[in-house]
Amino acid sequence: MINTWYLYLFFSAGLIFAGLFGLLAKRNLIKLFISIEVIAKGVSLVLVATGFTKGNILLAQALVVTFIVIEVSLVATALALIINIYRRTQSLDVRKLAKLKG
Amino acid sequence: MIILFVALPLVVAGVLPLVGRVSRRVLPDLLANAALLFLLVYAVTAGRSLIAGGPVLQQINWLGEAVNIRLALDGFSLFMLLAISLVGLAACLFSVDYMEHYGAKANYYALFLVMIAGMNGLVLATDLFNIYIFLEVAAIASYSLVAFGLEHDELEAAFKYLMLSVVASAFILVSIAVIFGMTGNLSLSAVAKALQELQAGPVVAICSALFIMGFGLKAALIPFHAWLPDAHPSAPAPISAVLSGLLIKVSGIYALTRVFLNVFGLTPSLSLVLMYLGAVSIVIAAFLALGQKDLKRMLAYSSISQVGYIVLGVGLGTPLGIAGGLFHLFNHALAKGLLFLTSGSIQQSTGTRNLDEMGGLAKRMPITAGTNLVGSLAIAGVPPLNGFWSKLLIIIALVQAGHPGFALVAVLASVATLWYYLLIQRKAFFGKLNERWAAVREAPFWMAASTVLLAALCIAVGIFFSLAIKSWVQPAAGVLAGGIRTVISSWGF
Amino acid sequence: MIVQTALLIGLVLFSVLAIVLRDLLRAAISLAVASLFLGIIFFRMRAPYAGVFEISVVAGLITVLFILTIALTKAGGDVWESKTVNLLFPLFFAAFAAIDALVMKGLVQKIPALPSAPESGTFGDMLWRGRTLDLVGQIGVILAGVFSVLALFRKRDKND
Repeated sequence: MINTWYLYLFFSAGLIFAGLFGLLAKRNLIKLFISIEVIAKGVSLVLVATGFTKGNILLAQALVVTFIVIEVSLVATALALIINIYRRTQSLDVRKLAKLKG
Repeated sequence: MIILFVALPLVVAGVLPLVGRVSRRVLPDLLANAALLFLLVYAVTAGRSLIAGGPVLQQINWLGEAVNIRLALDGFSLFMLLAISLVGLAACLFSVDYMEHYGAKANYYALFLVMIAGMNGLVLATDLFNIYIFLEVAAIASYSLVAFGLEHDELEAAFKYLMLSVVASAFILVSIAVIFGMTGNLSLSAVAKALQELQAGPVVAICSALFIMGFGLKAALIPFHAWLPDAHPSAPAPISAVLSGLLIKVSGIYALTRVFLNVFGLTPSLSLVLMYLGAVSIVIAAFLALGQKDLKRMLAYSSISQVGYIVLGVGLGTPLGIAGGLFHLFNHALAKGLLFLTSGSIQQSTGTRNLDEMGGLAKRMPITAGTNLVGSLAIAGVPPLNGFWSKLLIIIALVQAGHPGFALVAVLASVATLWYYLLIQRKAFFGKLNERWAAVREAPFWMAASTVLLAALCIAVGIFFSLAIKSWVQPAAGVLAGGIRTVISSWGF
Repeated sequence: MIVQTALLIGLVLFSVLAIVLRDLLRAAISLAVASLFLGIIFFRMRAPYAGVFEISVVAGLITVLFILTIALTKAGGDVWESKTVNLLFPLFFAAFAAIDALVMKGLVQKIPALPSAPESGTFGDMLWRGRTLDLVGQIGVILAGVFSVLALFRKRDKND
C-alpha cells in the first residue's frame, strides 16, 4: 500500500482513540455523543483514504455518502433519546442513569 | 423474487403511518401480520424449491435493465430467513394485544417491519458493506423499539445499548475498510478469493480481532455483553423476543460465521478463540442468571449463555458441530422468543416481573404456564424437546473432535440451566397461589395463540428432529462446512 | 502533502477540543469546524462529493441538531466533569500518538495489497448503478430514523 495510506491511518486511529477516551471519561450525555461523532469522523477518513490510495475514489465516496446518511439517522435517534432522558430526569448526567445494574 | 424479503417489509412500513391515520388498530395489525405471514409462507415454499439446485444468485432486473442488486440465497440464508419469519410472525401476533396500552401501534409496526427488513437484507447480502448497512438498519430500528415505552428504565437501557452498539459498528466498518485496502474488493466471493492469494496472516488477524469485537458485541458474547441484561428486559415483551431470539443471532452470529467460515476461513487458532469465547459465555452467563430476581433479566442472561453454545458449536468447525450450533440457533430462537412472550403475558396480567412476588400462577393462567414450561424445558435441553437434540449434537461433536473438557463444561452448564429454569417454574407458576393474583385472567387471545404456536413448534421440531435436521439444518451446515470453497465457487456472478 | 498533514492535524485538534471543552455550545461549534477541515481534506483527495456531503450534512445538519438539543436541555445546569480527566487526556493522547506512529511506521509496505479494478464512469454511475443495494439500505435507514423520532416524540395520551 502506498505510504500515504499509513499517514491517514495514523490520524484516523488518533481520532478513534480520542473518541473512545471521551466515551469512557465524560459524564455529560451530549458530550458522550460528540465523542461518537468524532469516532465517525475517524471512520469516514479511513474509508475515503483507503479509496483514494487504491484509486477507487468513486467507490469510497459512495460508501462514505451512505455512511453519512446512516450517521444522520443515528444522531436523530440518539438526540431524541437524550431529550427524552432530560425530560425524565432533568439532568444530562450519565451517572443519574445508573438505575439498572447492567 | 428474493428482493421481496427486503422490499415488502420496507414498503409496508412506509405505508403504515398513512394507514395508521385512517385506522388506529385494526388495519395496522392486519397489514403487519399479513406481511410477515406472506414472508413466512414464501420462505417455506418457494425457498426450498429455489435452492434445490445450489445457491440462488439473483440479479434484479428493473424494466428490462439489469440493476446491480445481487442477493444470494443459499442454505444458510434460507435457514435464517425461516427463523426470522417464524419468530417475527409470532412476536407480531403477540403485539396485537400487548401493544394496546403503549399507543402508536402503526408507528410500532412500522419500526418492527423495518427491523425485519434489515435482518432479511443482512442474511441475503453478498457484499461486506451491504452487510454493514442492513446491520445498521436493524440496529437503529431496535434502539427506538427498546425505548418505546418512554419510561426511565427503557430510556436508560436504550441509551447504553446505542452507545455500545455504535462503537461496535465503527469497529466493523474499520475492519471492512482495511479488508478493502488489502483486497480491492467488497463482495464476499472476491474477498475470499483474494485473501487466499494474499496470505496476509497478521493483518487478517487484526481484522478478525476487530470483527470479533464488533460482531461479538452485537451477539452479546462475554465480555461484550454489558448492554444486553438492561436492554432486553426493558423492551416491550415482543421486542425482547425478537431481540433475544433474532437480532443477536442475525447481526451477531450470522455475520460472524458468514465472514469467518466462508470468507476468512476457519484456521485452528480462530476456531480455538471462538470456542473459548463460547465456553466463557456459557459458564459466566449461567452463573449470572442464577442470582436474578427479575424474570426477564434471568432470561436475558440465559440468552447470553445459549449464544455461547451456538458459538461453541460453530467455532468447532466440524460438520457435526456446525450443524449442532445452527440447530441450536433455531431452537433457541423459537424457545427464547416463546419465553419472552410468556413473560410479557405474565407482566401484563400481574404487573410485575419480580419472581419473588409471583406464585402459583398456573392455576389462573394455564396456557401461559404450559407454554412457558415447554419453552423452559426446550432451552434446558430436556428430551424430547428440540433443545435436547441440538445440545446433544454439540456435545457429541466436541467429544468426537477431541475436546472433552469443553464437552464437560457444556454438560455442566446445561444442568445449571435446567436448575434455574425449574426455579422460574416453581416460583412463578407452581406452588401456592399468591393472594394478590387471585383475580388475574389468562392472556388475551392473540397473545396466547402466538405462544401456543411457538410451543407447538418446539415440540414438533423436537419430535421430528431428524426430519428438521435433514431438510433445514444440513443444507445450512453444508454451506458453512464447505468453508471458503462454497463462496468462491458458487457465488461468483 | 504538507498542507494535507496540516489539515489533518487541524482536524484532530478541533475534534479533541470538541471532546474536552466544557461549554457544550463551543464544543458543538468545534465539532463543526472539525467537519469543515475534514471536508477540505476530502476535496484535496479528489473526493468532492464526500466533501460536500461532509460539510453540508455533518457540519451543517448534525451541528444544527446538536445545538437544538443543547437548547432544549439547557435548564438542567452543568454536569460536573472530572478535572483530572482533562489533564490526563493530553498525556494519554500523546502516548497513544507515539505508539501509533511507531506501529504505522513499522507497517509501512508490510500490508500486502492487491490492485483493485480501475474505475470508470461518474460518481452518479457508481452510486446508482454500482451500489444500488446500498440505496435500498439508505431508504431503510431513513425510514428507521424517521419512525424512531416519531415514536420517541409522540404525545402520551395516558399519564406516565
